[in-house]
Amino acid sequence: MMRQHPESARRLRWLAWASMLLVAGGTLVAGRAGAEDPAPATRAVDQDVQDLKKQLLDLNKDLFKLEEEILYPTSTQVAVFLSLNVGTFFELDSVTLKLDDKEVANYLYTEREVQALHRGGVQKLYLGNLKAGRHELVAFFSGKGPHEIDYRRGATLSFDKTVGAKYVELRISDREASLQPEFVVRQWD
Amino acid sequence: MALMRTLALVAAAIAGALAYPLAARASTTAVSDGTTAPDFVLKSTDGHNLRLSEYRGDVVVLAFWASWCGSCKAALSELNTIADTPGSGRPVVLGISLDGDAARASSIVQSLGLRYPTLLDTRQAIGRLYDVEKLPLTLLVDRDGIVRGTWASAPAPRAELNRVLEEIGQ
Repeated sequence: MMRQHPESARRLRWLAWASMLLVAGGTLVAGRAGAEDPAPATRAVDQDVQDLKKQLLDLNKDLFKLEEEILYPTSTQVAVFLSLNVGTFFELDSVTLKLDDKEVANYLYTEREVQALHRGGVQKLYLGNLKAGRHELVAFFSGKGPHEIDYRRGATLSFDKTVGAKYVELRISDREASLQPEFVVRQWD
Repeated sequence: MALMRTLALVAAAIAGALAYPLAARASTTAVSDGTTAPDFVLKSTDGHNLRLSEYRGDVVVLAFWASWCGSCKAALSELNTIADTPGSGRPVVLGISLDGDAARASSIVQSLGLRYPTLLDTRQAIGRLYDVEKLPLTLLVDRDGIVRGTWASAPAPRAELNRVLEEIGQ
């Protein structure tokens, strides 16, 4: 099953290319057909192009969903998200993610990305497949802690992967009582 | 209806004919003129993380170098003049050091007085991504992220750089 994924993705990508070129080809032909009577024909062609663009966007959206469903079926899918809550005591620099002792993601954050997270954005940090059973996720957070001191902390979550998709959230928040950042890993049910 | 079917068949045939070389090209071509510059994020010598795709809308000059490369120093110093170009629409210059030792790269940046960000590719991951074989390597990336000029082994001649900048409306 796993070996078929890259082939399926290639086919999907080819299909996307073919669709785009099909639309482009159709537009060209339509453009030529309308060249004899410019004014009304131009409007009609313009409307056709807009319709085709919309169809193309819808098709791309469907293909993206389909690709995700094929590459990451619900039965094996695991997704890890990251969010920030306030972040006064921690300036995020990078996150390294390990699943069952294997590094699966290492992400460096730019200022703009950190700002987006501060504004409430949630980042999909990792999307992959896991077989059913017991697994361990370890996240290492690097950045600047209180008083601009280099800060690195780890957080661990052991979880059971069942038949459904598994969603995990890494949340960085402020612990006002100790004036320290807090790193929480939790599962979404 | 028959016309539509014919049109669809013609378009599909064109699509097939065009898609094959495009797919073949994507799998074999390294970064070269006309291709999209692969995105990356690296830490700069001043501690900030910079991502290439965040400069979409700006013209970017990427300069790969290493401390052991003699001709790189002249290339880096020359790029100071581009970074100092007056006006808000000037190209963004990003130096990318392939040195394994970040401190060594930082000392070169200081000694040459570079006035643009220098990124540290200590694991040479981005060097591999860009298939860097000869240094210095200078790439000119347009506002849409497409590589418009590549110069390897020697500093990019300023006249040529200016010509390409003019071509892309900089």
